[in-house]
Amino acid sequence: MPLPRPLGSRAARAALVVTGAALLTRRALRRRIGASPLWPLPALAEPVSGQPRTRALRLLVARHERVADGVVQLRLEGVPSVPLPGWEPGAHLDLVLPSGLVRQYSLCGDPDDTSSYTVATRLIGADEGGRGGSREVHEALAEGVEVEVRGPRNRFPLIGDAASYTFVAGGIGITPVLAMVRAVDAAGADWRLLYCGRSRAAMPFLEEVEKLGGAAGRVRVVAEDESGRPDVAAFLGEAAPAGAVYVCGPEGLMDAAARALPEGCSLHLERFAPAASAGGDSAFEVELRRSGRTVAVGPGTTVLAAVRAELPGLAYSCEQGFCGTCQHRVLEGEIDHRDELLTDGERADSMLICVSRALGPRLVLDL
Amino acid sequence: MSHTRARLPQPVASEHIALKARDVSFSWESTPLHWLPGDPFSTHTINVLHLLLPAGERWFVHVYKQVLPLIRDEQLREDVIGFIGQEAMHSRAHDEVLPHLREQGLDPTPYTAQVDWLFEKLLGDRTLPPGRPRQWWLMERVALIAAIEHYTAFLGDWVLNAEELDRRGADPTMLDLLRWHGAEEVEHRSVAFDLFLHVDGGYRRRVRTWATAFGALVFLWQRGARFFMANDPTLTDGKARFRDFHRAGRAGTLPTTGAMIRSIPRYLSRDYHPSRECSTAQAVAYLASSPAATAAEARANGAA
Repeated sequence: MPLPRPLGSRAARAALVVTGAALLTRRALRRRIGASPLWPLPALAEPVSGQPRTRALRLLVARHERVADGVVQLRLEGVPSVPLPGWEPGAHLDLVLPSGLVRQYSLCGDPDDTSSYTVATRLIGADEGGRGGSREVHEALAEGVEVEVRGPRNRFPLIGDAASYTFVAGGIGITPVLAMVRAVDAAGADWRLLYCGRSRAAMPFLEEVEKLGGAAGRVRVVAEDESGRPDVAAFLGEAAPAGAVYVCGPEGLMDAAARALPEGCSLHLERFAPAASAGGDSAFEVELRRSGRTVAVGPGTTVLAAVRAELPGLAYSCEQGFCGTCQHRVLEGEIDHRDELLTDGERADSMLICVSRALGPRLVLDL
Repeated sequence: MSHTRARLPQPVASEHIALKARDVSFSWESTPLHWLPGDPFSTHTINVLHLLLPAGERWFVHVYKQVLPLIRDEQLREDVIGFIGQEAMHSRAHDEVLPHLREQGLDPTPYTAQVDWLFEKLLGDRTLPPGRPRQWWLMERVALIAAIEHYTAFLGDWVLNAEELDRRGADPTMLDLLRWHGAEEVEHRSVAFDLFLHVDGGYRRRVRTWATAFGALVFLWQRGARFFMANDPTLTDGKARFRDFHRAGRAGTLPTTGAMIRSIPRYLSRDYHPSRECSTAQAVAYLASSPAATAAEARANGAA
């Protein structure tokens, strides 16, 4: 701005003061906005946004190979420059198959490899109750196909401080156990594995498992066509006290393990199909602690429907377990989670009442 | 309630549609930082949506959960229930873009943490005595949401028709996110306004909350665009100026200034009803072809 003369004039001095003040204000504002984009609003101490529960990833099927009779192993790769989210043994991925079906598969690769995930799938025919997911993995996910995944999440975590580890795997149930065995073996822990299947040819990763067991006799392999059904009780009977027992396999195997669990040992189960197909829906009752009421949930209805009869203003929306509106705190009772949304932390003390149910006879909700 | 039924603005019945949330999912690895090639300003001006919507739409759901018991009309209750699920999914879908921006060197947290404060604290539940003060604050927020939804429908309609974005080769995943969201905003454009009319409907409150919402949106948007332009690692001395906005509007990569100004008197008109704006048929047509929405449909059928 050209300075007017003479400098003594009052108007010029006023203009100078105003311009100077404006420039200073602008500089001060810019500095503040630079440091705090919505100045003068403060920031929330613990930001909520920008930390989604899970992120969808599109991965490339880089390898599709047969590793046993009826079992294929997929190697899924991401973009080379971006490391994939990490995982711990026992974790699984949600695969969104081309038809839209979502299926969970345990990760059986190396957790330190951040460039790819490895899963293995056994083909389950319609005669065995298969609903088409595994067939799609076997037939549609050829090398070069892109597939969307969510996760990884861990519903079957390996506890780190057990005195000893006893694993029981049935057939394709070896997948989460394999990553666990590698981890405990590398850590030098005391472990044993009972690996059973229909025939040696149908049991994936057999060679690797036997090698890990080595001469120490840690691994017992029982193929039904050679030596009949495994004696789970006898195997668990030899378990050291206060150990951790991990079982993944068909229902019958898990029931046998639960019955034969030695005293002082903790039991950890991984079901093949945690969601819709997990047996029939049993009846149970739900106590609404704050309202002081109790409702019965029959086999053919949902917790949401039963609770809404008592509390008609209760919010819900999708009724399929994905929108999260009907998440409520659970004060007591064991939950049968059937959604694909909640994180493991959220699952510990809350549930989506539109799809999830009780494992036991009773739940207490904070409602 | 301060009005009579006869004076209520009449909705266009044929524009009503049953609402349902869609279980969409987007993966962002292949989306570039400037998803509208060669146009960082338009990219970032639209990106401001990802800064505001995760917290904003979460807040809608939070407020509407409290209003649900006050609704005395079954049809409206159904609409609000559908609305809640759609908004919850919008919030999540935009939230998943934020880590992707961070990975590309543009960390949105300084801005989003302040937006979180705005919606969680300033506009959150306040320690008010029960009765009238608490009711007043709830009604004020319901009216604010109705005013904001006027603009989300405006933007939804714009993006469904923004052919210039296709011509310039915008990233298909981002375009699908914006159009899926825009189409659902058009689908449910009447719900927030109908709810406001049902529980309060006062004209003075409508004007007051419109002024607050409009002022806040202008403030948040210009700060957001400046924030992105200033922190974009690929730009030196990135700026966002009003004349860039005006120019992008004329080019068709953003809404025009004129259309924005013309939308103001429409909301303030006494016989405004959202069903007279936008086209439900167009929204439904887009959703029938949207990759994310059709995948969600397949998922719903696969799970059933």
